[in-house]
Amino acid sequence: MELPLLSLITFIPLMGALAVLCVPKENRRVLEALSLTAAAIPFALTVWLYFAFDRSTAAMQFVERHAWISTDAVRIDYYLGVDGLSAPLVILTTLMSLIALIASLGIKERFKEYCFWFLILEVGMLGVFESLDFFLFYVFWEITLVPMYFLIGIWGGPQKEYAAIKFFLYTLAGSVFMLLGILALYFKADPHTFDMLQLMKIHGSLSFRFQVLAFLAFYFGFAIKVPAFPFHTWLPLAHVEAPTAISVILAAVLLKMGVYGIMRVNYPMLPLGFEWFLPYLVIIAVINIVYGALCAMAQNDMKKMVAYSSINHMGYCLLAIAGASATGFAGAAFQMINHGIITGALFLLVGVIYDRAHTRDIGAFGGLAAKVPVYAGLMSLSCFASLGLPGMAGFVSEFLCFLGAFPRWKIYAAISVIGIIVTAAFFLRMIEKVFLGPLNNKWADLPDMNARELLSVVPLAVLMIVLGIWPRWALDMMNTTMVGLAGLFR
Amino acid sequence: MIEYVWLVPLLPLAASLIILFVGRESDHSPMPYVGIAAIGAGLWISLRVIFDGAVGAAVLPFEKDWSWYSFAADLGGRAFIFDMRAGVLIDGAAAVMLAVVCLVSLLVQVYSLGYMHGDTRFKRYFAYISFFTASMLGLVVSNNLIVTFACWELVGVSSYLLIGFWFEQKAPPYAGKKAFITTKLGDLGFFLALLLTFTYAGTYNIVRLKEAVAMGYLPPVVLTFIGLGLLAGAAGKSAQAPLFIWLPDAMEGPTPVSALIHAAPMVAAGLYLVARVYFIYLASPAAMEAVAWVGLATAFLAGTMALVPYDIKRVLAFSTVSQLGFMMCALGVGGYTAGLFHLTTHAFFKALLFLCAGSVIHAVHTNDMRSMGGLSKRMPVTFLTMAVGSLALAGIPPFAGFFSKDLILEKVFEHSHLMFAVLVFTACLTAFYTFRMLFLTFLGDGRDHDRVAHAEESGSVMTVPLLILAALAVVSGWLFEHGHAFASFVGNGGAAEAAAEAAGHGTQAAAGHALNPMVLAVGLTAAAVLLILLAYSLYGGPDLSRAARIKERFLPVFNVLENRWGFDAFFLFLVDASDRLAVLCRWLDTEVIDRIFVDGWGLICRVFAEISHLFDALFVDQAVDGCGYVSRDVAGRGLRSLVARGQVQEYLLYLAVGVSLFAILNK
Repeated sequence: MELPLLSLITFIPLMGALAVLCVPKENRRVLEALSLTAAAIPFALTVWLYFAFDRSTAAMQFVERHAWISTDAVRIDYYLGVDGLSAPLVILTTLMSLIALIASLGIKERFKEYCFWFLILEVGMLGVFESLDFFLFYVFWEITLVPMYFLIGIWGGPQKEYAAIKFFLYTLAGSVFMLLGILALYFKADPHTFDMLQLMKIHGSLSFRFQVLAFLAFYFGFAIKVPAFPFHTWLPLAHVEAPTAISVILAAVLLKMGVYGIMRVNYPMLPLGFEWFLPYLVIIAVINIVYGALCAMAQNDMKKMVAYSSINHMGYCLLAIAGASATGFAGAAFQMINHGIITGALFLLVGVIYDRAHTRDIGAFGGLAAKVPVYAGLMSLSCFASLGLPGMAGFVSEFLCFLGAFPRWKIYAAISVIGIIVTAAFFLRMIEKVFLGPLNNKWADLPDMNARELLSVVPLAVLMIVLGIWPRWALDMMNTTMVGLAGLFR
Repeated sequence: MIEYVWLVPLLPLAASLIILFVGRESDHSPMPYVGIAAIGAGLWISLRVIFDGAVGAAVLPFEKDWSWYSFAADLGGRAFIFDMRAGVLIDGAAAVMLAVVCLVSLLVQVYSLGYMHGDTRFKRYFAYISFFTASMLGLVVSNNLIVTFACWELVGVSSYLLIGFWFEQKAPPYAGKKAFITTKLGDLGFFLALLLTFTYAGTYNIVRLKEAVAMGYLPPVVLTFIGLGLLAGAAGKSAQAPLFIWLPDAMEGPTPVSALIHAAPMVAAGLYLVARVYFIYLASPAAMEAVAWVGLATAFLAGTMALVPYDIKRVLAFSTVSQLGFMMCALGVGGYTAGLFHLTTHAFFKALLFLCAGSVIHAVHTNDMRSMGGLSKRMPVTFLTMAVGSLALAGIPPFAGFFSKDLILEKVFEHSHLMFAVLVFTACLTAFYTFRMLFLTFLGDGRDHDRVAHAEESGSVMTVPLLILAALAVVSGWLFEHGHAFASFVGNGGAAEAAAEAAGHGTQAAAGHALNPMVLAVGLTAAAVLLILLAYSLYGGPDLSRAARIKERFLPVFNVLENRWGFDAFFLFLVDASDRLAVLCRWLDTEVIDRIFVDGWGLICRVFAEISHLFDALFVDQAVDGCGYVSRDVAGRGLRSLVARGQVQEYLLYLAVGVSLFAILNK
């Protein structure tokens, strides 16, 4: 029997979570070891997945399919599989979970519950990217909500309850519509099915009206997650209130569920609705890019600035998808990975300074580069990656996003480049105010990064550069799938 | 040797990483020698390439590339996996540029050993310099426009690091940021040009692109847009109007860095790019004309701005901008060889002038020429070499600048007499402001006795590079002009010029309008000498009152020039406007979208909840209570009677009515 790789990846964190429950909370060492192991093993398995992945096919791989709920009326399968779109995201998820967990080791209160919820969250995220059955997809999608609610609401900042409930209700409202869409597709399919691959084949029998309505239902659910204008306002709030590691997960993985959904569901299952929506999608993308960047420029709180920069970067994904081309899809897929790595690192780094200074106000610092050179170096590196400096990962994907959208939306793409310069402006201004100039003597004893912090940030910094110089290692995984995706309706 | 040319950028890159990560920061760190060795090796390779190319041992252009990465692409309505290849493309211009960049960088690094001695980040400085050089060399050799763009941006980021190198002060980081953002503004044009290129030509390989253009695959309007986009990028990097505002501020960096930025590695990039894709401009007369006018405006504006500053480095900075304008204009009128020739000679004498200025600053610890004067006796080597550089810049024969500037003016004359007149005027200004600077610094009395009296000639590690560059500033023009060596090597014996003629540039060249080179040379030299004498009469002696009186007289003009024609104010206005816009967006986001749109939905839900709660409390609950009351009443009496009468059926009836009423009301 073949090894159920995806199941192992998904459920080892669950086992870890259950095991964590059995450990007395005074045993902090054991808790740490246990949860790190529960996050490290899936990561190791995804490394294996990376090497075992067949790059020459667009088909689903590592497929596992078992009947789960099977009656005369309804058939729901336990159905997992990955392709060039989801496999990189699975790898990103396990990597970022491990890194975020390392960054969480500084959590002081209620550590046991934290680990429990964190590992449950990882299960949900992995499941979303792996599920090929809509029912299962929905279950995993909802599983991510509850841990997130608690993780923000308990371990968050001053406004944590408000941020948590807003996040929860907002995304829940989205997923209700998504459920509606899932049910609509289920009943339209003949025979009724939750099989996502099957549902990609029935669009020929779906009327334009139905496709538009179903598209909007799904889009509403996914757009809130992306987050696409005007559904984005929960994000800065949630980021500011969430603890560092949860901000990392939120930015690196959770937002990707939205873009992934649009690429996995809206485009292949409802092509007419997709086509109808494109002119609006591209406008939303441009707003995300330019408006998000401008909002970021006006922020004084570093974390809020990075949060708004995420809105800008997700705009590139939307722009790329609006191009509906192979290059665009590849750009969006790669941008998701790069944004996860880069923004993850940025949130970690903001957390580092907040832990020391207990403020994130950009104006409160000054001249830190002389005091904390390693921190300044890593922060500048991440900022440059985020503003799309060539030689670093963000550039390759951003460029592909633009290149994918350009043939179809020349004017919109040309307007969007404004986002690039604004991004450069606010990141450089932040670097200047925080790190350069005369040293603000208030921070004369600021210590540089410690080993744990370096352990969480340095791997991401290395990845930023490696994927920027040698993007082949990521793109080769995606290319075939993206060509297949673009060729679906030609 | 030419097959190893890819090592030229990679050696300094490796060196910069080694310098950055190996060893400790210290004054006696041996790490700078790693960078010097790497760039020395690079220089050797590039000289061999030139030699081999000249004697025919190597065939130019030489191209070699490797598969880099592949991405899903759509061309011609078909999705497929596109193989992105990257590699080197060496033609005459690239070979010369390689040698120039390596040579200047080598000399600057040696010089920096002395200049940066004692700096707290001595080692890191050399890492940055090597990285800077590597980026520029990568840009020169690349055969792929994406790689060119990548290196282009890396040049930008390393200049950011180097200009802001002394980041503990306020001004350098600001200047670094200004340089990065301003050049990035131009790069947006480059970026869009890249998008257009792939969309219409389906390649980033320069050779393939040239073929595609030759075959007419790209519509003329697209070519024009690509040309203009690339020009915008070039205007940012090469400090052309109106994006030149960053270059004078860039003086905040260490002086050897200024030399590097101004001589070859940075500002040459834009011109080199235009030359590299010259075929696009040849195919698009509109873009070509734009190049010429941008260059002309730059040359003139910067030439006038150089007349007034008292900061020695700023005079040089404006003169660089002006000279770059000359070169750009030359390229725009079809003077491919002339433009690149001036680029080469200018690299030598401008590096020389900056390093001389650095030597002076090192000795007197100020940039302000009002505190200098009379330094010629204290620093004879610096004085003599700087005089050589000034003569070259002013275009006095037989120094290098004379030959190249002459060539440009000839070309421009053929194209447009108006342009020619403006450029001649600017060339005269050049002679004046260059010698104003030289005289203010070295002649007359020491105006700040403390500083001047303690000034000492720099050590040999700094003066030897000066002497080498001075020698080049003397001979390079004559050497390259001799037998049209430069033209035949770089310009393929005027192939680009011929193509330009054929494409209809150089419009006024018809019958007998060509300028007699002798007349031009003699006339220009005479004018330059006259202006040098004028400069001497104003600034050469100990008495500067005449100059002050002139300034008094023409104060409004001086003010306009000191405010740089208002360009800085305009860009500050832009920055301010975008800041206001950003604040507006922030307000919109929190107060309108979040508060009204999002929280509004929440409020609506709350209102509905309240209404149903009210309904619940007022009607449903009352009804329930009422039921209870009634039933108690009924049941109270009834139960007794039930018990008394034993009529269970009646009880069940009451129950059924009560339950259904409850169910209906509570729905």
